[in-house]
Amino acid sequence: MNPALAGVALAILIGAIVAASSRDARIATLGMAVVAVGSPILADPIASPLGLAARIVAALLATYLLWIAVRDGGAPTGGSRIGWAAEASVAAAAAIVGYGTHGLGVAGSGPALGQAVGFALAALAMAPLVTGRDTIRIGMGLLLLTHGSLLVRVALGGTPSPLEELVTAGFIAGLGGVVAVLSTAARWDGSDGGFALAAPGGPDRTTHAPPRPDRRRPRPAAESLPLWTGDAFPTSDASSSNDPFPVDEP
Amino acid sequence: MTLAIYFAITFGAAGLSLIGRISERLAIAIGLVGLGAASLAAIGIDPNEALRIGGGGLAASAYVRLFLILGTVVGTILALVGLAAGSRRDLPAVTLGTMGAAGLALVLPDARIAVIAATASGLLGVLLTIVPTNGRAGATVGIRVARALVVAGAMAIAATAWIGRDLSELAAQPVVFGLAYLAFALAVAVRFGAIPFHVWAARLTDSVPEAALPIVTAWGPATFAVVALAWTDASIAPLLVEMDAERALILAIAIASIALAAFAAWIQDDLEHIVGYSIIGDAGFVLLAVAALDPDAWAPARTWILAYAVARSAFAAWAAAMRATYFTGRLSDLRGWALRSPVLAVAFVIIAVASIGVPGLAAFDARSDLIQLSLGGPIQGLVLLLAFAPLLYYGRILVIGLRRPDPATTTDGGMAGGPSLSPIDMTDLRGSLGRLWNANRPASAVLGACAIAVLALVVTAGGFGGPAAAAGLAPGLEGPTESFIPGPGDSVDGGSPPASALPGEGSGGPSFAPVPTT
Repeated sequence: MNPALAGVALAILIGAIVAASSRDARIATLGMAVVAVGSPILADPIASPLGLAARIVAALLATYLLWIAVRDGGAPTGGSRIGWAAEASVAAAAAIVGYGTHGLGVAGSGPALGQAVGFALAALAMAPLVTGRDTIRIGMGLLLLTHGSLLVRVALGGTPSPLEELVTAGFIAGLGGVVAVLSTAARWDGSDGGFALAAPGGPDRTTHAPPRPDRRRPRPAAESLPLWTGDAFPTSDASSSNDPFPVDEP
Repeated sequence: MTLAIYFAITFGAAGLSLIGRISERLAIAIGLVGLGAASLAAIGIDPNEALRIGGGGLAASAYVRLFLILGTVVGTILALVGLAAGSRRDLPAVTLGTMGAAGLALVLPDARIAVIAATASGLLGVLLTIVPTNGRAGATVGIRVARALVVAGAMAIAATAWIGRDLSELAAQPVVFGLAYLAFALAVAVRFGAIPFHVWAARLTDSVPEAALPIVTAWGPATFAVVALAWTDASIAPLLVEMDAERALILAIAIASIALAAFAAWIQDDLEHIVGYSIIGDAGFVLLAVAALDPDAWAPARTWILAYAVARSAFAAWAAAMRATYFTGRLSDLRGWALRSPVLAVAFVIIAVASIGVPGLAAFDARSDLIQLSLGGPIQGLVLLLAFAPLLYYGRILVIGLRRPDPATTTDGGMAGGPSLSPIDMTDLRGSLGRLWNANRPASAVLGACAIAVLALVVTAGGFGGPAAAAGLAPGLEGPTESFIPGPGDSVDGGSPPASALPGEGSGGPSFAPVPTT
């Protein structure tokens, strides 16, 4: 086993456990940054410089976009309900299964460690994807599952070509941007519910739903929040002229 | 070079439109100009072009060209209809980005890369769920759409990596092929929102305007399905492996989608939900194609995908025009619509004919072929009948339209959706044009719906060379990749490989080596 690859794999695992279990959205985002940057390095032979650079730039861009959404620290994410130790156990078990089944019935062309970490990331993604009740937590699940499937792909099919790395980079950056935009939309819609999803039963009910109380951390007053400049939803959108469903009464 | 121009225009204009979205007019103007330019660039694509880039490559084909032409032209008209009927400012940018990524997915011969691009093609559509005044509700719908996209993408990435190499170098347990096939087929089902994976798609109709719906639920998934068909044709269909259990599951999902989506559309009271479920229902026939595992399904499947995407776009544009004309999408409030808007009624009939079809039309024959190739016995006849199930909801809409209009809601007592001429004040030209546009929003939406309806009928009839392009071989860097064409005496029931199946032997034979399974 290549010790350098083992170190990268360990770092990715730790980052993934942090991303899946932390209730502080900023710490979860930093954990995801480790996963996103480490994921393209976990290949043997390592990807071409162009492809690797594209993946790392995309990882940093995706992380930065997420950081814009969470940096004020005013709203927590769900975090793990069973704690980081239990999440680590799940990841370890999945990693052992992945390592032991390298190739999945076929001769794998990439490192067994890639499949081990890929399985671990996919296992860690399940709880956020299935039980997540806020955009950041589900977004972490989406990113973990994406990186997990890409690592399994490397383990099965070998090191991707530069073209594949470029396309993957675009996908990773786009996914990070989408999660960031959705999280920002949820955070700043005025109902003070943090990143929480709308109440079940349809979009219209959410305007009447009481905000979810945050029992973990006092939320700063609205006027003390830093001025947000990630201008995906400028205030001009709220004007009647920008009504998404303009209706001219007959 | 022609592919590079297409990608530069689509991705460039999409990026510029999103950057300029602080100004609604600027964003829409950039998007519409970009869509027009993208349509021209798609027309200019050389079907024989092949580019080698970074250890891989891009290769065009006549089918890719036609798909992109129709996608960009329909996207342009949908954007205009959305402008008239009310839509998101991001719709042109999202359409550009989706069609750009769709083009990338379709020209990548390597399925392992193509699935990533096909997954990315749906990401931008999530932005359409965001509304300025109720961000949390939009984000809730959007994150669920993203979840469906990513789960489908992860399954497809794993499946293509699993058996994504040269089949002649691959020896594996039969279960590997079965599971990989099942993963990709289920990914297609999730991506289309097929029943029972339809919850996200149903919620999406609550959040996305009618004119934007086909971009997210039809064109993006159609790209994914074309990639899936190419992968299945190259990696699964040649195998001498029994996959009855996997096929049965996919067929069950397909039939459930066809039947239950038509029923769901029939009982809905909102046009946008009817449109949403009609898209899901027609996607069931795409799943039949994935389940067919027969090289003869290649051409009809791709013909049906083209016709389905355009016809459902026409239905969505018609629904948007109805909303623009009557300010409601509730059927109970639309009594007499056909009597008050004969042009919309004609467009509706054209759309119904285009989407259901009649014998002799290319799409109808393609759908019949798919049913016959994927099913046998009495169930085949049942599904052939189910193909006419959309008559239920089309008939209901038409019957409501032919009723006497409700006097309480018919304030003007006359026709609706027609053009309105207002005097032009030369001293206030800009204001006059603005008033003219506002007065003619319904008429503009009706015009756009009619245009897509006619386009849908032409595509359904086999116009623009659709069936010939669909029958073409998958693109490859060394020229078109040979699809599996069984030679005489080929066995598909686990017998020994026929001599004509060996690579490089004979003309017209398959270009693969049947895989020795253990």
